Amino acid sequence: MSGKTKTEIVICAAVCLAILLVPVFMNDSFLLNKYARYLVLGMLAIALSLSWGYAGILNLGQATTFGLGSYCMAMALKLKTIPIHTGPDGLPDFMVWNNVPELPWFWKPFYSTTFGVTAGIVIPLLFAALLGWFMFRGRVTGVYAAITTLAAMVVVQLVIIDQQAYTGGFNGITDLAQFDVAGFAFDAYGSASYYLVAICLTASLFLALAVTKSKAGLIVQAIRDQEDRVRFFGYDVALYKIFIFSVSGAIAGLAGMLYTIVMEFASPTFMGVPLSLSVVIWVAVGGRQSLVGAMLGALIVAGMQGALSESETFLDSWTLVMGLLFVLVVLFLPKGIAGAVETITARFERRDPAPAQQPQRTDAAGAGTHHLESLP
Amino acid sequence: MTKASAQLVVDKAKVSFSGFVAVSDLTLRVAQGELRCLIGPNGAGKTTALDLICGKTRLAAGEVYFQDKPIHRLSEHAIARTGIGRKFQVPSVFRDLSVRDNLQIGRSASPGVLSNLFRFRQSRDKADIERLAELVGLEDELGTPAAHLSHGQTQWLEIALILAQNPLLILMDEPTAGMTQQETKKTADLFCRLRGKHTLIVVEHDMGFVRDIAQTISVMHQGKLLAEGTISEIESNQAVRDAYLGSGGIGHA
Repeated sequence: MSGKTKTEIVICAAVCLAILLVPVFMNDSFLLNKYARYLVLGMLAIALSLSWGYAGILNLGQATTFGLGSYCMAMALKLKTIPIHTGPDGLPDFMVWNNVPELPWFWKPFYSTTFGVTAGIVIPLLFAALLGWFMFRGRVTGVYAAITTLAAMVVVQLVIIDQQAYTGGFNGITDLAQFDVAGFAFDAYGSASYYLVAICLTASLFLALAVTKSKAGLIVQAIRDQEDRVRFFGYDVALYKIFIFSVSGAIAGLAGMLYTIVMEFASPTFMGVPLSLSVVIWVAVGGRQSLVGAMLGALIVAGMQGALSESETFLDSWTLVMGLLFVLVVLFLPKGIAGAVETITARFERRDPAPAQQPQRTDAAGAGTHHLESLP
Repeated sequence: MTKASAQLVVDKAKVSFSGFVAVSDLTLRVAQGELRCLIGPNGAGKTTALDLICGKTRLAAGEVYFQDKPIHRLSEHAIARTGIGRKFQVPSVFRDLSVRDNLQIGRSASPGVLSNLFRFRQSRDKADIERLAELVGLEDELGTPAAHLSHGQTQWLEIALILAQNPLLILMDEPTAGMTQQETKKTADLFCRLRGKHTLIVVEHDMGFVRDIAQTISVMHQGKLLAEGTISEIESNQAVRDAYLGSGGIGHA
């Protein structure tokens, strides 16, 4: 394992540990809920960093998979409220208002929470795989892939808004039961929910890190660099892109489920253009080629968004401030905060008078000739 | 026709780019272990000939057989998996990745997603990668991003990538472009060593280099095969002399 990999693992572990320790020092349930929300957004940023930073696929519709996960969880939690809201043989309340005679077939499996949780990962994963299959088999790349993801998201969102009787339409799915596992309920404002989110975040971060450190992750980065060259080594480029796009979708789906638990509702805005574009800003600010950087970018920028929009001075102008920040980062820190930190530490290391730092530039021809004997 | 004697058979291949015929009626037969040089004036279709073998461009007519199997309808990665490697004219390496990572990509014996998902970089490839880097004089640059290499080093890195891939047939497009005389000499030595173990098709302008390495030379002109033979046969061939007229003769092409 290289030294750089070790440093990355240590940094990720330290950040996750710090996140897990927050409830020990803080007991404000309102703040814990708010922080849990930011952590979920951090997971969404990790998902985008995987596809954008590592594979070069700018997914402007990252919120699609996020929203799908969110709706899966909301459907499972909504069905639990039926006995209280509409009696044991009833329907989710919004279906009653829309005169739906019986529970639609695709709602029925969600009586099982296990199914709901599984679907919340598998459905976004399959959606990403299918969209990826169409895009990458057809060799749609660059800005055209970005537009395709954006368009796909708008379509999914419109369908969900349009099918009000089955999806709750504009209102989304509200008034949910609490998520519970074997009788233990996760209160959105309790520390248990915070820990649930923090643990899922840690797992996602290390899963994503393992993927990027594997040879498959390396090949994905080579595809980002020079897609056409990779093919001639025998790698199926489309398959690798579909794979990374699906992993990214699955992590976003998990994040979406947690968002429903923390926010206590699901809404079509969870798969909207504004959220999707915000993720791009977070990841760009944090550094798209660093998973932990992208995550911290989400925490910092989403935190600032929250703080600015609540402060009296910036009540009207906070979007302007955020826009300015984005422009500055793009202009002066093209690799985001993580990239800037890397450049600075590299500069310090170079100033360090360690002998190994100045590699001897040997002439390729001169150095190589006597090695020729070692050819098989 | 019998294909048993040749490893690679290009049969009456035709390539056209929206009406412009770059290669027409090209027939090539290359035996296993042979080192074949492909020469010709600018625009003769040499690079296109390599492209049609490795699948970068598609045939309008004709066929390509490798090891007695038709490959001209396979996708690029499937062709590569049959054992064909390609070095491009403009050195194409992965500039954002280190030399070590580049070589790791080159080792593509198992190209599937799943098999590579559970393989990490410190695994058994390490010794092979260091040996390859040493072979091309990049052993001190293993951690350097490929973008920081000189042009000659980049050429060598791409050659090392092909060696890491270890294909049966290697297609080399102007491997010595931008190299010093000393480096060119070293490349010639390397190619002579590869001959026999690998089949090589080398497109080259440098006639000195071709003289050093060639067994059989194929001359292309205006998308067609003009002549084929040993270096002395080619140099005394009247049709070849005519084709090179105006570009300073074959020795200066």
